Amino acid sequence: MLLTLIGALLLLQTQQNQPRTVAIDESFAARANLKVGDRVTVSSRPGADDFAVMTATRTGYTPIAAAPETVVIGAIVRRGADPSEVARGDFLLRMHLDQLQQVSGYGDRVDRFAIATKPSANIGQTVNRINHVAFGFRAYRSRDIAVETSRTFQVVSRFHRAIGVITIVASSVFLLCIMVLKVEERRRDIAALRLMGISRWSVVQSIIIEAALVAVLGSVLGVALGWAASLFVNWHYQALYRTPLAFSMVTPPIVALAVSLSLLLGIGAGILASLRLVRTPPLVLFGR
Amino acid sequence: MRTTLAQASLIRHRARTLLAVLGVAVAAAMLLDMVMLATGMRESFRELLVSRGFDLRLAPKGTLPFDTDATIPGVAAITSVLRNNPDIREISPVLGASIHIPIRNREGEGQGDVSSAVLGIDPTVQGDYEFLSGRDVTTPDAIVANDYLIRRLRARIGDTLAVATGYDPQTRTYSGQRKLVLMGRARFVYGAADQSAAAVRRETLEAMQGQARRDHASLFMIRVRTGADPDRVREWIETYIPSVSAISIATAIAQVDQRLSYFRQLAFILGAVSLFVGFLLVTTLVTVSVNEHSGEIAVMRAIGVSRAHVVQQVVLEGVAISFAGALIGLGLGLATARYLNAILSAFPGLPMAIDFFLFQPSAAWTALALLVASGIAAGVYPAWRAASLPIAESLRREAIA
Repeated sequence: MLLTLIGALLLLQTQQNQPRTVAIDESFAARANLKVGDRVTVSSRPGADDFAVMTATRTGYTPIAAAPETVVIGAIVRRGADPSEVARGDFLLRMHLDQLQQVSGYGDRVDRFAIATKPSANIGQTVNRINHVAFGFRAYRSRDIAVETSRTFQVVSRFHRAIGVITIVASSVFLLCIMVLKVEERRRDIAALRLMGISRWSVVQSIIIEAALVAVLGSVLGVALGWAASLFVNWHYQALYRTPLAFSMVTPPIVALAVSLSLLLGIGAGILASLRLVRTPPLVLFGR
Repeated sequence: MRTTLAQASLIRHRARTLLAVLGVAVAAAMLLDMVMLATGMRESFRELLVSRGFDLRLAPKGTLPFDTDATIPGVAAITSVLRNNPDIREISPVLGASIHIPIRNREGEGQGDVSSAVLGIDPTVQGDYEFLSGRDVTTPDAIVANDYLIRRLRARIGDTLAVATGYDPQTRTYSGQRKLVLMGRARFVYGAADQSAAAVRRETLEAMQGQARRDHASLFMIRVRTGADPDRVREWIETYIPSVSAISIATAIAQVDQRLSYFRQLAFILGAVSLFVGFLLVTTLVTVSVNEHSGEIAVMRAIGVSRAHVVQQVVLEGVAISFAGALIGLGLGLATARYLNAILSAFPGLPMAIDFFLFQPSAAWTALALLVASGIAAGVYPAWRAASLPIAESLRREAIA
């Protein structure tokens, strides 16, 4: 009995002396050439050859000098796809809370609490009740935080929309120009058709059908090109930022918008150019 | 004569020429915007960094200035080490923190508090703000603030503010609270438009934050002697003070470049696409024009006009369209750049002084040169076709038609 007790105490002592484990992200492991089982010393005071790492609570180095701690790499993790961190290139180390508080000298403090409510709870009321008694902190709904932290992406999204509008204007002028040229090139054919007695409406119809066909073929080619470009963009930026985030997506509404715009502009340009030609006397079209 | 013929050819189809010029103008506007985007951020950021005359910044190791709450301990010791380098002319330690200022209504009832970023500086060597009015932080109980914070506080110059650096939730009191007098208004050069900012003397902020922040700085800004190489000083600092990252203007720009590489690449891709679209448009138009005038060209060749003359005339047509489009595009591009810049200026925390689209004459010249070059290139193929037309066959075809 006594032996068992001594054995248990020894085991406990050994366990207490064992370094605790931490998890690091893939990019940190690759950069520092670390693998699971390696021992590293973690300190809030930087030295000459150290890596600066963002800890799970993003405290950075804190002013109170704290003793360094030797830890074991217990896991190498892949970071979640967080758009707000995509361009930062920080390394991340996950520690137990008490361990980080001790190493960083942060004391009995945290940066934030995450609270899970029961499915039946009224979140708005809960937030109000916390804020009513809060002093020095404030409760927010997760969705409000998401809105606030996604401001960067809202700006980027607005910028993309503006660029998209400019691109559409440029494409429209280009398409209009090409269609006008294409129809004008057939002045003599149209003049011959008109002299043979083909009605104006038939000529306009044939040009509209031709314009629609060209627009459809161009759209199909454009969608294929856009899809390939999207694949390339994702491949490039996912490798650059080491993230599974999708940077470009070709969605059905986008395809529908592109095809309908192209059809609309193509047919519109066809109508404009053909009306201009059928109103001109055939002999004038012949240059007589 | 070449110019007259090219002009006549373009005027003959006014609507078509106008459309082509419009198309090239939109492409030129896009190209100008993208050239401005590719170079603007870098230049604007560089101007911001050099504007205050500091060549180096020292941040806690592995971080960028004010990227985290990290601080550098041992300001006195570090300053003493830095003074040993004769190339270092001026040292400005800066301590950053948050402050909380309770606001009360006229009846004296508490109405919550306003939080703000605060910098602890030495007013004689600071490089973080431009002083606007009032008095600087010449005394330990003085504070200066930007207009945004003054508006939020509904305060006036001369008001006394109860400024705290923290909270104690258990006792429900402010910690590090001190009465400070609002002495002046300042514009913080690295601050965003919708960001509250204030500055006090560094020793005041250290005292308010207690023992924990005694002799600490978030950042050192360093001016080097005229003629000294900042990169050599940077290397010297990193050798003698291993607990800091020394960042020169060049390395700071490189880091920002890396973070914002997306915009540079986007600018390159869209700029290339715009140039290609403009090129394609001019090529198509001039080719159609050559096809239509094949009879005229054949007549010109038959009466002894040289091939070079024909080539020049066709290329001139392409260049004229590109040039006219580029000129219109310049105005259009500046207007759209202003609009796009206004969108990107809303980036959270972006310093007011940073422009994504910065107009530089070199950007306009680059865009113009690229467009004229593409106009010349666009005219090459149709010009070659025009010059190599079989004279007799073209004349016969024209006569039959």
